[in-house]
Amino acid sequence: MEVHDIPTPKAMLVAENLCKRYEDDLLALDQVSFTVEVGSVFAVLGANGAGKTTTINLFLNLIEPTSGEARINGIVCHKDPLEAKKHVSFVSENVMLYPNFTAIQNLDFFARLGGKSEYKRDDYRNVLRRVGLADDAHNKRLKGFSKGMRQKCGIAIAILKDAPALLLDEPTSGLDPKAGHDFSKLVRALRDEGKAILMSTHDIFRAKEIADTIAIMDNGRIVMMEKASSLQGQDLEDIYMKHIAGHKTAAA
Amino acid sequence: MLQAVIAKEVRDILSSAKFLSAFSVCAFLIVVAFYAGASNYLSSVERYEAARAENLRRFEGVTQWFNVQQNRIMMPPEPLAALVSGVSNDVGRLVDVEPRGELAAYGSRFNEEPVFAVFRFLDLEFIFLVVLSLFAILLCYDGVSGEKEGGTLRLALANQIPRSTFILGKLIGAGGTLTVALLGAMAIGVTLLPIMGVPMSGDDWARLLLIVVCGILYFGVFLTLSLLVSSITHRSANSFLILLVIWIVVVSILPRASVLLAGRAVDVPSVDQTSYEKAAFASSLWADFRDELAGYQGTKTDDIEAMMHAFNAYMDSLSQARDQKMSDYAGRINENRYNRQVVQQQVAFGLARLSPAASLSLATASLAGTSLAMKDRFRDDANRYQKAFASFLKEKTGMDMGGRVIVMLSDDAQPEEEIDASEIPVFQPSRRELAGSIGAAAIDIGLLAMFNLLFFAASFVAFGRYDAR
Repeated sequence: MEVHDIPTPKAMLVAENLCKRYEDDLLALDQVSFTVEVGSVFAVLGANGAGKTTTINLFLNLIEPTSGEARINGIVCHKDPLEAKKHVSFVSENVMLYPNFTAIQNLDFFARLGGKSEYKRDDYRNVLRRVGLADDAHNKRLKGFSKGMRQKCGIAIAILKDAPALLLDEPTSGLDPKAGHDFSKLVRALRDEGKAILMSTHDIFRAKEIADTIAIMDNGRIVMMEKASSLQGQDLEDIYMKHIAGHKTAAA
Repeated sequence: MLQAVIAKEVRDILSSAKFLSAFSVCAFLIVVAFYAGASNYLSSVERYEAARAENLRRFEGVTQWFNVQQNRIMMPPEPLAALVSGVSNDVGRLVDVEPRGELAAYGSRFNEEPVFAVFRFLDLEFIFLVVLSLFAILLCYDGVSGEKEGGTLRLALANQIPRSTFILGKLIGAGGTLTVALLGAMAIGVTLLPIMGVPMSGDDWARLLLIVVCGILYFGVFLTLSLLVSSITHRSANSFLILLVIWIVVVSILPRASVLLAGRAVDVPSVDQTSYEKAAFASSLWADFRDELAGYQGTKTDDIEAMMHAFNAYMDSLSQARDQKMSDYAGRINENRYNRQVVQQQVAFGLARLSPAASLSLATASLAGTSLAMKDRFRDDANRYQKAFASFLKEKTGMDMGGRVIVMLSDDAQPEEEIDASEIPVFQPSRRELAGSIGAAAIDIGLLAMFNLLFFAASFVAFGRYDAR
């Protein structure tokens, strides 16, 4: 009998028993554990204050965990944050960037912060074209941009860094359907390139469309985590409402 | 990465409408301050020359040196005093020098032209003190909190940039850009001085350079303070409000409160009180003088001139003894008052130096020669001149002048020629040594540098702990 090595998927983003309690005793995260593998999208659904952004902030080391750890490519974020951040790109909810800079100037600054100082103007133009920003907007100041255009710049910045992991914090919030659709396409393309993507969102439709794994968070805990394939045929909105309502009933 | 943050900061500042509008106003005021200073100096020179000519005209028609009882000396205007007025407009600039007695300066600029005392001059020190500090606050109050509000801080710190590099880049970028811009405006202002014909010696240029350095250090204090406050607040509006309150306290309240507190803490006898004591002592001396004069028993001869000479000599000796006693007494009273004043000043300046604004004022005034020492220097110069003037008159008249002399004139005397007033010693104020001025300003320059380091170190620590979420 012929024996083949089965390639094990690489865990790029790992949350292991993450807990975060703030100074005011608020428990923002409670024993959160999950893994995002290379070439997959992990979507975290939840209401405001559920703990989605706190999870992302822990990966970015903007806060330190009370216990547990977040790892990027095997590096513990709060122990070696600068090394960990080399392996991750980030797109925030409201990409504001520098309003007095042009799209290219913004890209140039953040690319340099990401350790990519070798890019030329054409590289910036190419990536802006890839995210769907029209050529005539490349040299315009961002203060005249719509939210969708700014979001495209934010994704372009993430792409330029070329990190193996990508953190998306409510990326489709406030985008029109066309921009949301374009965004979904881009994320799928990035996943196909092998990026490990962690996305927090309110958008059940987008989560179902893009994610390989979907988790629902409520009050700092993951109350449901399933492969998207196993949810086929089920109404994700119903599942979401059931878990949130169920938790509230239990709490009451 | 440091380079990238610096470049971003430079670009961000230069492309903002806030910078363009604030810098335009600031640059305009700096140039106006130099222009006003130069104009002010030139008109002061004109007034000074006119007053000197007027003084010499007083001796026209005078034929006897006996009749030259006093000469008026004037503090000459100096170019830097027009740029950093300090106390130069408050202290007396004229002294009527008599061969004997205490000298008192009078005729301050604000006394003669009180309208200028109401709002004071728009000099370089005022521009530094008020405009530069506000300029720094206006451009840097949102240095960190603004990035948080704009969402760029979270995005920037999602990269592998150390926080220390980020804050250092912001300081170098913002500080460098604004400093170069201000120096450009000052360079334009400085070129006005030679163009308008203000004579600046090498010493004056060196002093002006140090004054500009003080201004930049002071600007740096508010820049680093703005960065600090911005690093401990999360809303730019709060940061601006806190900085505004600090600015009011530091620039307007603390220096004035220090002087008030020092006035309460250290009691200095008033001028009226010391004048009264001196007048009472002088009266008693005059009474003694009259008694002794009444008891004069001169040798009676037919030679009236010899008798007069003997009487004058006796009166001279009495006058000298009286003057010596008066001088000793006044000296003690003045010294006591002066010593108390020195203590009061030390207390006032010590407290005021908690404010960088006070340090700037004290440093620039020391460098421009318009600090409180200006008054002492003029008094010492006047006292030195008094001795030269008295010695000159003694040489001309053969006796000590200043007391009462009896001169016998006869009707058949021939008309005499006028005295040559140009022979009167010319008042030469002592030269201020640059090293001495730097020494006097060193403590305040050091304090300004220390405030810079302190605030930057604090903002460094605060930003390290900043909640960038």
